[in-house]
Amino acid sequence: MSTQVMPAPATHTAPATAGSRPRRRPSRAQRGSWALTIILALCSLTVLVPLYASCVMAFKTTRQAVDGNAFSLPFPLSLDGFVQAWTLTDFPRSFAISVFIAAVTVAGTIALSSFAAFAISHNWENRVFRWSFFYLLAAMFLPFPVVALSQVKLTGMVHLDNPVGVAILHIMFQLSFSVMLFTAFLRSIPTELEESARIDGASTWQVFWRLVFPLLAPMSATVGIFAFLASWNDYMMPTLITADPALQTLPVLQNIFQTQFSNNYNVSFASYLMAMAPAIIVYLISQRWVMSGLTQGAIK
Amino acid sequence: MQSTTPAAQPGLSRRSFLFGAAALGAGLSMAGCAPGQGSGGKTTTITFYVSKPEVIGYFDGLIKQFHASQDTVRVIRDSTSSMSADFVRNQPPDLGCWNYNFSVAAFVRHGALSDLSDMAEAKSINPKLWPLLQQTATYPGRTSAIPYSVMAASVIYNKDMFARYGLAVPTTWSQLQAVCRTLQGAGISPFYNTLKDNWTVAQGMFDYSVGGMVDIPRFFSALDAEGTSVRAGSAASFHKDFQGPMQHMSQLALLANQDAASRGYGDGNLAFAQGKAAMYLQGPWALNEIAKTAPTMNLGTFPLPVTEDPADLKVRVNVDLALWIPEASKKKAAARQFLSFLMQPEVNDKYNADNNGFGVRTDSPPARNPALAGMQKYYDGAAFYLGASQLIPASIPVADYAQAIALGSAPGPELATLDSDWSRLALRNA
Repeated sequence: MSTQVMPAPATHTAPATAGSRPRRRPSRAQRGSWALTIILALCSLTVLVPLYASCVMAFKTTRQAVDGNAFSLPFPLSLDGFVQAWTLTDFPRSFAISVFIAAVTVAGTIALSSFAAFAISHNWENRVFRWSFFYLLAAMFLPFPVVALSQVKLTGMVHLDNPVGVAILHIMFQLSFSVMLFTAFLRSIPTELEESARIDGASTWQVFWRLVFPLLAPMSATVGIFAFLASWNDYMMPTLITADPALQTLPVLQNIFQTQFSNNYNVSFASYLMAMAPAIIVYLISQRWVMSGLTQGAIK
Repeated sequence: MQSTTPAAQPGLSRRSFLFGAAALGAGLSMAGCAPGQGSGGKTTTITFYVSKPEVIGYFDGLIKQFHASQDTVRVIRDSTSSMSADFVRNQPPDLGCWNYNFSVAAFVRHGALSDLSDMAEAKSINPKLWPLLQQTATYPGRTSAIPYSVMAASVIYNKDMFARYGLAVPTTWSQLQAVCRTLQGAGISPFYNTLKDNWTVAQGMFDYSVGGMVDIPRFFSALDAEGTSVRAGSAASFHKDFQGPMQHMSQLALLANQDAASRGYGDGNLAFAQGKAAMYLQGPWALNEIAKTAPTMNLGTFPLPVTEDPADLKVRVNVDLALWIPEASKKKAAARQFLSFLMQPEVNDKYNADNNGFGVRTDSPPARNPALAGMQKYYDGAAFYLGASQLIPASIPVADYAQAIALGSAPGPELATLDSDWSRLALRNA
């Protein structure tokens, strides 16, 4: 019942407010949209220009890569950079390990932080839960480098100096921010929804899993994207925590392409392109949910 | 009933996704563990750390050779782990192949590296090299590391350009100035400077000027003796002893390309390869970068003359790679076996020939790259010094001070700052 009622007024009000404005003042709105388009176009250049440079650089020969013209088209076209990057990083293996860490981080972050947020938002009056929320938030002010040394020692002692340990630590460091997002979102879900499920005889687990968790989907997508990016792009934690060089992640291995004394622009950019691909693909697939999540939150 | 059935379907698929992800993860972690556990029986697996990314492929080839030659020791090459983290968790690599500089100095001073003095390889080392290692770091009564490759740096010059203007290699400061005047008269900038990257100033103009005029080991031991009381008026100080070299450096900076302030290391290699200057103050590492653009360029090297006496000529050296075995390693015997393999004359000499290094034994052949021939005489005669910028602890930003002087600051105040930095650091370490 209530699920059908809730979105109805929302969908009615949204187009009404948005639609009335351009009809009254079309010229100014149009001018505004032109200015906005130009600003957005300029902003997109800041992404597209470096992307273009890295694409053409990846296909250059070493000699052309150091000639100081980053924007020139590659001639002759060379796949040498990709071949070298592939073998030097042992790409399939390091890629699989990066994917593994990112997947565990995303799944673990979404699961753990939604559990925590559910418990905290339902027991807000209880002092223990309220303070545990503040405790989790306080972790946001604790960057990894501060605790790096003790983490290295601890993970070594409990034999977690491997990708599993890195994934667990990634989950830990994502927890505070994700719990905050989930808790804020959960508070906007009306309690009547849950009460109706309770009346139908649902247990706490069923309420969470059948009702609340599906409602959290857009926020889960947001949390998941943040967790994925943080884990996929991380350099410092895997480099310190992982002991076995054969289990190292892609960003750490890519560090070997550039040193103070030598530059292999074509090899490094080829490798960056290969590493960038999954992040872009994940974002392209899931961005619809992020957008819908933002608008849903805004209306409620 | 009706409300639960539609909700169950997305829940199921999400659950199966999570299970799938977990199963995938578990599978991968098992697969990842497999090769590590496979080394049972009588073989010993050791970790070998190489710090130089550009020679990883080379050492991988050597490891293959080593595996083929025997089957009791297996080597895993590592170039990505964090060394400090490895030591913190008490799992350092069994054999390290590192630059012998500040990054390793702390480990040496704290006795984290085992004594190698009983190895035959240690006895074969050119005895003139040991003082270089001792200056950087030492632990009483131990030979903590065995040098593998030494790099010598001086002025790289364009031989064809020198020949075109009938110039000879200068051996005194006034000859150098005459060479520069001739080049400037012909519209060529004598030096190509890359002041944007401060390290290029520190290892080039700064170190060459200082090393050519100051007795580096004596100066730094005097400075250590002075400790917290280093200041402008003390017996040894940067302000007093570096004043002369810095005057020369300020003059050298004026003899370079006009746009030096905005040029970086990569720009310098490209411009020098394109013949935009006659001389370049860089080490042999730049030769490979220049060769990317101009593979057949006719290059030579000579030590930068900063005095009027040709007997003062010296080249700047650094122990580019040294081998060491940590005290915490549990497989020292296997590590020593691989160390001996790497130190075999034919293996070691081939490395140095391929990577523009100078040999570490008394019977090592001369450097193969013809561009390095100009330094051989000085290297063989032990007319070399460690770069001053490498002996000043990294917490003092000496490269920034050198950059400031090269950009036109008066040397006096910069050197006074260096003195106060030194004494402050001595106070903190006391």
